[in-house]
Amino acid sequence: MAAIFNLNHHPSYVHWHFFQLSVSNLVVIVLMIVVFIAAILIPFPSRRATGGRS
Amino acid sequence: MSVSEERSWTAAVRKRAVGALPPDKLLPDKQPSYVASWIYVFGVLSLSSLAVIILSGTILALKGPGWWHFTGVGHFFNSIHLWSVELFFFVMVIHLWGKYFMAAWRGGRKAVWITGSITFLVAIPCALTGYVSQQNFDAQWISTQAKDAMNAAGIGSFFNLLNFGQMYSYHILLLPAAVVAIVIGHILLVRKHGVVPPFKVPAATSQASRDGAGPEAEESAS
Repeated sequence: MAAIFNLNHHPSYVHWHFFQLSVSNLVVIVLMIVVFIAAILIPFPSRRATGGRS
Repeated sequence: MSVSEERSWTAAVRKRAVGALPPDKLLPDKQPSYVASWIYVFGVLSLSSLAVIILSGTILALKGPGWWHFTGVGHFFNSIHLWSVELFFFVMVIHLWGKYFMAAWRGGRKAVWITGSITFLVAIPCALTGYVSQQNFDAQWISTQAKDAMNAAGIGSFFNLLNFGQMYSYHILLLPAAVVAIVIGHILLVRKHGVVPPFKVPAATSQASRDGAGPEAEESAS
């Protein structure tokens, strides 16, 4: 990963009142929320759709 | 049944186990139609990640720190171990969110919810002891910071985060054994009680869903 991202700098933080969070952790949390919503909304491929019988 | 068989503890355990989990319930070949949703996939994704963690961790334990720090293949397995842990927590938290919003403790599934929650709580120190077992400067930094946190919480006298031997044995034996044991219990409880069904929808919505032949219609028909 170090070859892809330049890690030789101070980490970035989001700071709001008492709340402090690294940008990398924030990205992971946002990604988890996106995957969670996608898992609810995206239809699951059913056997009926592929022509099989349950 | 003979008298000796009646008094046999193995027969009693077998009867109780088969009564609670008959073979068709233990290894079912069908699931309810409502399980056909991506949100139900995250439990098995957590299990798959755990399997990769255990497998890659076993190889790392066999080869040792010199291998995982100074060889290409060692680096590769070290990365597999790290990223499978990242994935494990990622999918386990989504699994937890999904089950929380489904109120998965309904229908006598209290123990299923509790064992899942305990697995999550035990997995956290399992990961922490892994970070302090790396044998590098990162591990030194994390262990000294975590030591202060444990002392501040009043539990620092029970274990020493600067003691590599203690942390390593926690990481490769005690905590993974606890996680795997609780996960096995969790899965057996899921098999016993079945996957939690979705909430009942109001009649009007249900009718609209039937018109559109949605999953609720399929469930009510079955």
